[in-house]
Amino acid sequence: MWAIIKKEFKSYFFSPVGYIFIGLFLLMFSIFFYVDVFYYQSTNFEYIFYLGTTILTFITPILTMRTIAEEKKSGTDQLLLTSPMSITKIVLGKFISAVLIVVITELCTFMYFGILAYFGSPQLTTALATLLGFLLLAMSYISFGVLASSLVENQIIAGIITIGFFILLWFLPNFSDIFTNFSLINLFTNFPEGQINIADTVTYITFTIACILLTIIVMQRRKSVR
Amino acid sequence: MIEVKNVTKKYGKTVAVEDISFSINDGEIVGLLGPNGAGKSTTMNILTGYIEQTSGEVTIEGYNTLKKPKKAKRQIGYMPEGVPLYTDLTVKEFVTYMAELKQVDRKTRKEKVEKVIEQTGLKDVENKLTKNLSRGYKQRVSMAGALVGEPKILILDEPTVGLDPKQITEIRNLIKTLGKTHTIILSSHILSEVSQICNKVIIINKGKIVAIDTPENLENKVSKNDCIYITVEDAEDKMSKIKDKIPEIKKVELIEKNEDKTKQYLIETDKNVDLRKKIFAECAKENITIFEMKKADTTLEDAFMKLIEGGNK
Repeated sequence: MWAIIKKEFKSYFFSPVGYIFIGLFLLMFSIFFYVDVFYYQSTNFEYIFYLGTTILTFITPILTMRTIAEEKKSGTDQLLLTSPMSITKIVLGKFISAVLIVVITELCTFMYFGILAYFGSPQLTTALATLLGFLLLAMSYISFGVLASSLVENQIIAGIITIGFFILLWFLPNFSDIFTNFSLINLFTNFPEGQINIADTVTYITFTIACILLTIIVMQRRKSVR
Repeated sequence: MIEVKNVTKKYGKTVAVEDISFSINDGEIVGLLGPNGAGKSTTMNILTGYIEQTSGEVTIEGYNTLKKPKKAKRQIGYMPEGVPLYTDLTVKEFVTYMAELKQVDRKTRKEKVEKVIEQTGLKDVENKLTKNLSRGYKQRVSMAGALVGEPKILILDEPTVGLDPKQITEIRNLIKTLGKTHTIILSSHILSEVSQICNKVIIINKGKIVAIDTPENLENKVSKNDCIYITVEDAEDKMSKIKDKIPEIKKVELIEKNEDKTKQYLIETDKNVDLRKKIFAECAKENITIFEMKKADTTLEDAFMKLIEGGNK
């Protein structure tokens, strides 16, 4: 599995995808940070992540859309699936390498924390809770993105499915209150307040595991229907 | 050792491969032959574990592909149709990745990668991105990917498609060399290739096996008669009399009258009887001048066409 993680992770940086993802995040975070600090006179680290989740909703697909769709299109999935590597390891490898990109982005955001700590006293525990929440949300998003990528051969379509689904989840609570807890992005709101809510965490993790399992099933199933 | 027992693959109601059984012994080079859409790739995909059969059993070196997929897959090096490669990797990176996927031991990995790069003649381009290579080199890279990890069995799906004649010869020679140490299954629709390289042919048509045999036997099976083509100058039209003189001749047929007054005849004889000496002697007696005489070999092509046509009727 390590081989797949390594290769996938590298290929994020062979193509512009990795740079675009991290770069775009840092650019937007810097703008929010600037606005926060200079217009609202806030020394709050967590605020930038509220808007960060919006960006995440829209740019997760660029990390995930090609993961499996591209392999199918170019035929390289034949190399993967005929190797002794199991489907579970292939899917997990692709998932983990995408998550690593998000982790790198998060590590970069520590510079904002550093700047704030120099001039004020931001709370480390709240910051860590926020980062955890952000990572959990990103994991859920990535797992769905990989699932979408396994369903189709065209990566653009995989991307559109992914964004479409995220937007649907986002606005579900507007239709009925029943859906409040289905909106992944809304579940994030407690984390920047320093609360690591068990229900939220479990929802994120369950969603992630469900998507990964579905991806494995989809790929396994394709073996017998292809 | 590969054993395929009553394998059927269905897509919904369409049957891609129906009830095929065959076995391949160690060290054989086997050609899968058939028209497009006959089920060659499907068969190979089942052997490699890329797809699963609807029913039936496949065992590779004693490992059932459905029950012990990992061990079965480890015995096989697969070169898929159309040579898919990771275009953002260099040749060396690609082969190394393939070695990693095949879980080649870390200690010997580097050395094994070097070895297959050497073996497939890729040393000069090992640091080039695979997307910048010519088709012939891509084919070799794909071959290197299949070879790494020292599999016992090589499965090559249309290994010479899209190559120029020089590259085809090179790849064929490579396959022949590899055949000394590996069991090889290759698919092709080039018949001459199969008869040159392989020592066993499996002909598939419409998802069914039509014949399994050596190329020579297949050729012999199909042709019941031997033919001799003869071009003569025969002013007195005595050729037809030859038939009466030599009882073994079954038929003498005029094929063509050439402008220089020579005529070409087709003489059919019983199998494995070479009448050329007798014909020569008789012609001399009858004052027939022979310009050319040759024994026509039935080719695998003939065998193939007959078998396929037989299946279509």
